Amino acid sequence: MVKPAPSKVPQPRRLRLTNGLDVVLSPERSSPTVAVGMYYRAGFRLEERGRTGFAHLFEHLMFQGTTIVPKADFGRLITGAGGLLNGSTRHDYTNYFEVLPAPALEMACYIEADRMHNLDINPETLRNQVDVVEEEVRVNVLSQPYGGFSWLWLSQYAFSTYANSHNFYGEFADLESATVAEAKAFYETWYGPGNATLVLVGDFEVERAEEIVDRYFSPVPSRPAPPPAKFDEPVPKARTEHQHHDRLAPNPRVAIGYRTAAFGTPDHLPLALAARVLADGRSSRLQRRLIRERELLLQVNGGPHFPIGDSFEFRGPALFTIEATPRPGVTTKVAVAAVDEEMARLAEEGPSPDELLRAKRRELGAYHASTDSRLGRMRELGVLAAVHDRPELVDQLPKLYQQVTEGQVQKAVADWLRPEHSTVLHWLPKADGPQS
Amino acid sequence: MSPKERAPELSADVPRPGPVPPLRVGRPSRSTLANGLEMMVVARPSVPRVELRLTVPAGAAIGPSAAASALLRAGILLGTKRLNQEEVSESIQRLGGSLTVRQDQDRLQIAASALSEAEEELYRLVFVLAEQPAFPADELETERVKLIEGLRTARATPEFPAAEQLQRIIYGNHPYGRPEPEEPAIRKITRRQLLALHRASFLPSEAQITVVGDVIPRRTLARLRSAFATWSGPRRRLKVPRVRPHLCPEVTFIDRPGSVQTVILVGASGPAPGHPDHIPLSLASAVLGGSFSSRLMSNLREDKGYTYGANSSLDGHLKDSLLGAEIEVRTEVTAASYVELTYELGRLASVEVPQDELEATRNYLAGVRVIFLQTQAGLASSLAQIRGLGLDLRYLESYSDRLAAVTPTELRRVAARYLAPAQLSTVMVGDAAKVAGSVSSLVRTRILSPKRSKES
Repeated sequence: MVKPAPSKVPQPRRLRLTNGLDVVLSPERSSPTVAVGMYYRAGFRLEERGRTGFAHLFEHLMFQGTTIVPKADFGRLITGAGGLLNGSTRHDYTNYFEVLPAPALEMACYIEADRMHNLDINPETLRNQVDVVEEEVRVNVLSQPYGGFSWLWLSQYAFSTYANSHNFYGEFADLESATVAEAKAFYETWYGPGNATLVLVGDFEVERAEEIVDRYFSPVPSRPAPPPAKFDEPVPKARTEHQHHDRLAPNPRVAIGYRTAAFGTPDHLPLALAARVLADGRSSRLQRRLIRERELLLQVNGGPHFPIGDSFEFRGPALFTIEATPRPGVTTKVAVAAVDEEMARLAEEGPSPDELLRAKRRELGAYHASTDSRLGRMRELGVLAAVHDRPELVDQLPKLYQQVTEGQVQKAVADWLRPEHSTVLHWLPKADGPQS
Repeated sequence: MSPKERAPELSADVPRPGPVPPLRVGRPSRSTLANGLEMMVVARPSVPRVELRLTVPAGAAIGPSAAASALLRAGILLGTKRLNQEEVSESIQRLGGSLTVRQDQDRLQIAASALSEAEEELYRLVFVLAEQPAFPADELETERVKLIEGLRTARATPEFPAAEQLQRIIYGNHPYGRPEPEEPAIRKITRRQLLALHRASFLPSEAQITVVGDVIPRRTLARLRSAFATWSGPRRRLKVPRVRPHLCPEVTFIDRPGSVQTVILVGASGPAPGHPDHIPLSLASAVLGGSFSSRLMSNLREDKGYTYGANSSLDGHLKDSLLGAEIEVRTEVTAASYVELTYELGRLASVEVPQDELEATRNYLAGVRVIFLQTQAGLASSLAQIRGLGLDLRYLESYSDRLAAVTPTELRRVAARYLAPAQLSTVMVGDAAKVAGSVSSLVRTRILSPKRSKES
């Protein structure tokens, strides 16, 4: 039996300001550092037609200064205090975060409150950041072999509604025609306190943190929070297969995206454990069988929302993705058939008690490792609070995983990881690319 | 009162943070086994886990060839005579842990973790991996193919060939300049050669163990002793030759037809960590390109919009450090970006950094160090790294004091000595037909045609 060690971490405290801001405070005093995370419930899916990539472009504008803190000072305030800052845009949220020495907590709260209220959106910074985002797309996608494989492309085939299937990084024409007025409207609509969650993790006393949060965030006027949009679409009934040609890729790869279970449904946690049974490490089924025993693949990995997230980072429909690199001489078609066989076998026989035990032990280890990092715990709390309204789950998950049975994993795999619920993307080298 | 109403005085009101708190590593417990293995344990009971780093002098620059070093790294995870690779993976999973093998130029590191209740099993597992690797022949074949595929992919990126070319220029025949292996070399390495390299480089007398976690140090040292005491090997030092760096005054431009961006990489050999110039130079490098607010980011990204990321780095080796700055820019602005990069390098070498910018950069480096050391994993990795470089704990703990001692004059001196345009070699990877002409009007340029990728 595996007994999760009792958690020494104090329970997170949650409160809501009168302007609607959701606040989660999680003290953790083992080092003099803090993480500040600001989550807005605005992601790729709510982009309008003709405005692909807008949520991510807007994320960039949030680093461009305010009417109070000019662009040149914005990042320097944080780095000059010894801190790190960044942000990320995902399907159902966009986050902004700082990790800092504890004495900079108040300043970071000031900065987040300021950019929630006083963002300076102007034509110069918009133009500048369109250029920067285009360079981001070039350096991460267009100039790389396997650029954007598979997250950026697979969803374009796996979903049918515009919300779920457009180019999340953005077509250049869309980015270039974005206007200041649209950015201001987006900010007004989605970036109010009622559509946001603030997470503080680290070395502070809860009372003092509450005081700081109140001082800087309570003055931000409330903006009506839009009702949560629905992005559901039916689970596919038949597998579709698609090809993508990449002139930089030396070898083929393939991705299989199965529609996966939603948060809070009975199959949700079992599928997270199934991902470990299938693809976590050399002892996992796919790696053991297909890399070593059958010598068909060189690499295979995957899981819910792979490779840019995990089981919790989405609210709308999402994929359980398996990515595989075949050995030279093995076709992607053969690779897919081999994955199908392993999925069918797991659906048929379920995981062994030892397989499931190992998956749970890995979850427990990962939970503790994440708790040890301010940023790690901030991210977990942020997603659970902002996307699912359940931050208290953060310390309950090891126990909930512990309760999952072999039969539940088997059933979840049998119900969801079926060929007919999947979309296949064959990523192929393009022989006729420009040559010198 | 809304923030709007109080807006006018607010910029002065931005709450100023207190000073970056000092680094507190805690007192490590140390012991050396009869076989020479040096052990260091730090109690950090933040979560019920334990992190272990075992390092040995089996870096990429050690040994007869890059291919042998790369296969040695991959081969460790293939298991032992008693445990095959799946059993190794199963074992670490039952401990709730993780296992990876890393390699830099000088050392190879087994990085492993477990729930602290499984501490002893973790040490026994790492010991057998280090001491009794089997390098099974058939499984080695798969590792070769994986390595070859990985390198073919890396060579299809623009960044990898740029870095490889720059190291070749700077280090010449020194092993630090050894390019990643080619396919025929990877195919030729035999199991016997790997076993020989393992015997020659997994030397307990040159190895170090670092453990950080929810442990009782005295008990942990005893557990490590019982796990590693039987490890034996010849007592000898593996010598890395002294670096005699080279400088190439002309730009080396590697053609990448159709490339939508150009990678511009400049670099040189700098002082080894521990050298008095190293800390001032790390500050200079951070001013240039160490953070979101650095000069390269402010100029090339936030002002010009030429690039997504611009950064500089100082990677410590035993015998030197590799100093570099890198930008990826859209093809059309290659020459313009080179001008700005050269301007920033020249400015740092010839104009003193304003006091407030220096102060902010000091805080940044000190703060980031405190942040990185907050976790068991970060502390274990940092300790293992500085120990591998022959430095001690004082190096970490005195870090912010030494940052504080650097003056603008000192910073300009090291920037002029190591980071000025005349001290750096430059490699670009991009579409030569489109941009080599505009670059060669600025600086003498030598164009290399792309390497034909070999069929596997």
